[in-house]
Amino acid sequence: MSEVAREIKARKPDEHGRVVVGVSDLALSADPDATLITYALGSCIGVTIYDPVARVGGMLHFMLPRSTVNLEKAANRPAMFGDTGIPLLFRSAYELGAQKERMIVCAAGGAEVLNDDGHFRVGTRNRTMLRKLFWKNNILLSAGETGGNKSRTLVMPIGTGQVSIRNRGQEVVLWAA
Amino acid sequence: MGRIDTLLDQCGSLSSAPVVIARVASMLSSGEYDPGEVEKLILADEAISASVLRAVNSAQYGVPGRVFDLREGIIRLGSNALRQIVLQQKSTEMFGEAGEAYGLRRQDLWRGAIGGAFAAEQIAEDRRVCDPGLAYVTGLLRDIGKLVVDAAMGAKAFRTTPAGVAPTGRFVEEERELLGVDHAELGAALAERWGLPTRICNAIKLHHSPAPLGKPGADVLTDVVHAADFITLWSGLCVGDDGLRYELAEHVRESLEFNRVAAERQLVETMVRIREMEDAISDRPDRGAA
Repeated sequence: MSEVAREIKARKPDEHGRVVVGVSDLALSADPDATLITYALGSCIGVTIYDPVARVGGMLHFMLPRSTVNLEKAANRPAMFGDTGIPLLFRSAYELGAQKERMIVCAAGGAEVLNDDGHFRVGTRNRTMLRKLFWKNNILLSAGETGGNKSRTLVMPIGTGQVSIRNRGQEVVLWAA
Repeated sequence: MGRIDTLLDQCGSLSSAPVVIARVASMLSSGEYDPGEVEKLILADEAISASVLRAVNSAQYGVPGRVFDLREGIIRLGSNALRQIVLQQKSTEMFGEAGEAYGLRRQDLWRGAIGGAFAAEQIAEDRRVCDPGLAYVTGLLRDIGKLVVDAAMGAKAFRTTPAGVAPTGRFVEEERELLGVDHAELGAALAERWGLPTRICNAIKLHHSPAPLGKPGADVLTDVVHAADFITLWSGLCVGDDGLRYELAEHVRESLEFNRVAAERQLVETMVRIREMEDAISDRPDRGAA
């Protein structure tokens, strides 16, 4: 197992059973009592993967689409970027016994500020990169909610693999078995 | 009594100035930064003194576990690092527990404050448009109005918006509609009560609506803080129930040459600095959110 994957695997749930995935961060778990959660995605994108047979799940919270903006920083913090974080998320899950063909993949986030008329489009570019990367690698998105300008909290209990989004006190189920 | 005064009077201890922050802000604004006075402020504050010793003994400064004398630590760190340690320590105390009114978790408002400070300092340095230290402290304080709303109203501040409803339009307009005032205006009023320099109060007031050059209130410091606010927004450090419902002022893109490449570079630098700072703090707050 790689050093990065070992470190990712070592993340233990807190006293409430949560594994909090911060910005530019990813986590995996095979603990059926653990819940992966990332708070208030804005233009960042949260990706969840879940193998219902191996009961292994992972979550990534990346900030920018491409690591070319700073390759040196990307080497130290691969979860900051979609093009380095997503492959790492999948590879780390394989090391825990997950298989690509069984994987349920969901995504949320990629919101925009109100009047971005094409100068920055951080959320849109994150969404485009995600689509392209999945298309190239024959990965189907099982469910997703992206765009707009609201924040989204992404939640996935490992026991069920159910993926939900929370916003302003309401929870919507994105995917359930 | 106006709505602003009512809210300020309801926010308890926040209405009195945090002496250390006010003094450092005044020194930076007047251009008369006095390292000797900063040293006195450090020596008089136990929490800041501990932070100085922790910093000077960290790997970042190359002398881990070897400096036990506070005065030696002060000399080794130098005035820029000391100023940042002083402001970071005091802002942790001020912002650390707040944010419930805006749907933020503990420490998120503080991360947003520090992120805005880092970004503003770096933009000021890169563009050479104003003093980086002044940009740092103004970026740090830009959202103190949210502290007022939080202290005065707590979780009920935006409760009239039905759960699950995601309003559209500028968030500051929702604030004005529900609270009678927005957080930028409230923050400026609090900064005035604290006796902060007019230039900082003005930048706090206009950080979501900076005036273009030639218009009343126009100031490049406000432009820098406005751009830094967007860096913080895109970094995801402090996204609450307000989401991304803010508008970027068109003139700031031009005046600061603030484009996608520059913004992405700033984003990465800001996030790395935040993570390094959190890693350096031994009692690191729970990792969080955006």
